[in-house]
Amino acid sequence: MDVRSFSFARLCALLVALWPTVAGAGDLRIGVLAWFGDQTAATQWQRLGAALQAQLPATTVHIAYHDMNGLENALAAGELDFIITNPGHYVVLESRHRATRIATQKIEPDRDSEHAVGSAVIVPSERSDLQTLDDLRGRRIAATVPDGFSGWLTVWAELKRRDIDPENEEVTPVFAGLPMSRVLETLERGEVDAGILRVCLLEHLVRQGRLPAGRYRVLSPQEPDAPCLRSTPTYPGWAFAAAVQTPDALARAVLVALLSLNGREDVLRWGVPADYHPVHAMLRDLQVAPYDFLRAHRLEAQIRRYWPIGAGLLVLLVLWLFYTLRVEVMVQRRTRELSAALAARDEIEESMQAQRQKMEHLSRLSVLGELSGTLAHELNQPLATIGNYARSLTRRLTAGKLSDAAVAQAAQEIAEQAERAAGILEGIRNFARKRASQREDCDAGKLVGEIVTLFRGMLARAPEIRIEDRLPDERRKVRVDRLQIQQVLLNLMKNALDAHCAIGRAGEPIEILLAPAGERTKITVRDHGPGLAEADGTRLFEPFFTTKPDGMGLGLSICKGIVEAHAGQLVAAPPDDGHGLCLSFTLPSAATPHHDAT
Amino acid sequence: MTPPKPDPVIHVIDDEAPFRRSLVFLLESSGWTACEHDSAESFLAAPPILPTAGGCLVLDIRMPRISGLELQRRLTALNSPWPIIFMTGHGDVDLAVQAMKDGAVDFLQKPFKDQAFLDTIERAVELSRTRQQASRRCNDARALLDRLSPRETEVARHLALGLSNKEIGRELAISDNTVHVHRQHVMEKTATGSAAELARLILRADPNGLDG
Repeated sequence: MDVRSFSFARLCALLVALWPTVAGAGDLRIGVLAWFGDQTAATQWQRLGAALQAQLPATTVHIAYHDMNGLENALAAGELDFIITNPGHYVVLESRHRATRIATQKIEPDRDSEHAVGSAVIVPSERSDLQTLDDLRGRRIAATVPDGFSGWLTVWAELKRRDIDPENEEVTPVFAGLPMSRVLETLERGEVDAGILRVCLLEHLVRQGRLPAGRYRVLSPQEPDAPCLRSTPTYPGWAFAAAVQTPDALARAVLVALLSLNGREDVLRWGVPADYHPVHAMLRDLQVAPYDFLRAHRLEAQIRRYWPIGAGLLVLLVLWLFYTLRVEVMVQRRTRELSAALAARDEIEESMQAQRQKMEHLSRLSVLGELSGTLAHELNQPLATIGNYARSLTRRLTAGKLSDAAVAQAAQEIAEQAERAAGILEGIRNFARKRASQREDCDAGKLVGEIVTLFRGMLARAPEIRIEDRLPDERRKVRVDRLQIQQVLLNLMKNALDAHCAIGRAGEPIEILLAPAGERTKITVRDHGPGLAEADGTRLFEPFFTTKPDGMGLGLSICKGIVEAHAGQLVAAPPDDGHGLCLSFTLPSAATPHHDAT
Repeated sequence: MTPPKPDPVIHVIDDEAPFRRSLVFLLESSGWTACEHDSAESFLAAPPILPTAGGCLVLDIRMPRISGLELQRRLTALNSPWPIIFMTGHGDVDLAVQAMKDGAVDFLQKPFKDQAFLDTIERAVELSRTRQQASRRCNDARALLDRLSPRETEVARHLALGLSNKEIGRELAISDNTVHVHRQHVMEKTATGSAAELARLILRADPNGLDG
């Protein structure tokens, strides 16, 4: 023993002296990992128990032997004050049950100890194809148990360090179980290519003569000159650890006792707690207990650990999906409803438009119908004239007294009358034609002039129509549906004529006034008839209202609609001077943007 | 003033110039002498005398200011001998009926066949000639009867009614001889040979001349 450890031993002895009562406090229960069975273990650890009993006379030392699970269960149940186990298992118990190591078994590096921690991978010597651990790729290797420290984990770590992963089936472990002699048996039977033994076991067996020397060979020996060949690094020795509930005083007393032991045997050689970090590193690397959660990390552990968050997210996702879908469905439904409503409105407007056009057409025909009596007469005149000239020529020819002058006169007259008839027909056809509403810029004076000509042309003896045009040059253009406005004017002139006829003065002149009215152009048709009874004034523009015995009563109501479609108003008012009636309306100027109602 | 001519004269009165001219042209084609007037007023301004050879008026029933019917009424009031033919448009049948009641010769609905028109003209001119002759005989009879004294006129009327001298004397409270003398004067002055002849003369001068 060197000077430092001697001083440490003296310190511990001093500590024991300070708490004399603690050592004498009842039973001292120690659990020991027994991998070869209770009997074997008992023979091994019996001397430690006896030595401790001797050091701690006030207590009764009990040693219990367990396998890994049994030891852990006993510790968890509080049945043990101390445990003695291999480094891997200790790390597990430290993590799971807060066991605290107080001492580590001392194994001299050069000693052939059965407690040495590390592994040798052996192959039959004749297997020349297997020289290093790397050669094990794709081979079968015998081990003890999956959680055996020296029996499997150390080699696994070493293989993994060489990128040979048993978990990827790059090497196949065959677990032969405990004791470790089963590994040798498996290897003997040739079921595997290699076997794992704890360091020094091979040398121990040879020394005892249970194995012929040279029968097996160690792969990748780390220190070829050492008494025991090993394929893995060495790890800290077995741990002597206190359970979490063990009082500090007792732990200290036992520690002092351990450090005070003296003997050649491994079970009696204990030192200060070693650094178990390499063990932790190795187990973490392998992701086995106590670092098995790392493995779980990779798979279902993530799910298990984060399932509430995952479930929450899932619920949110489902809710969001549901919400989105619902919104989408509602938007689609609303859109459908809206477009259906729009379509219905368009349809109604379209049919109303069609109806209006039909009515306008009807009213134009109606005006023509009312005028048709005189119209027929008017057409008859030129036709009869033409007929007369033609027959006259025939007669003169037959009589043999046809003169050039007569032919010239007749031809001239015939041509003029034919043109006149054609002009009347053209005007009527244009007017009566069915058509869609269309806006154009046109000269208001010209517009009025044309319809006045048509009106006069349709009447045998049209009254004088006086047009007073007060429009300045820059305000002549209006933007209107030419035919519609001419229809309005025709109706108003017809009304004026009827009013004159009603008082027996068909020859009275009709007056038409064109004048600017603000941004718009105002057209007034004035008659000198009986005027309008007040009661009729309010109903004047209603459909089917008429004061005439043979009228349809549609004229003015349609005129009103047409004028309103041009954003104007049809107004009936008594004139400022004298008797009669003024019907006036306004039209949009060409340059003025206006609301197009049609 | 249309000067008297041996030919019959047709006057066309219509405000529609082209049509009016075409009718004149047509009439002239058939050898008639035709005159045109653009209104009733211009016709009335210088009413032409019906020539001996006859003639007629062709009137448009509808004209501004003075219509065809109105012109007919005014001519009737003036005892005009002109036969009148009316031209009517479609739908003027009521007016045409009125015109016929008022003594129109005929009416033509436009448009009409040239032959129908010319036939109607022919008939009207013929009628005008007949009327001319009737009128002339009436005037002659009146001229003969106008030569009688009032007493002779009374005696002539009674003779025409078929009374004997004795009955006339008693009626007029004069002697038979006086009646006989008056009778001889009447017969001489009227150049009639019998009471029946005298009666025809009186009726020719006045269709109502023998009433009460």
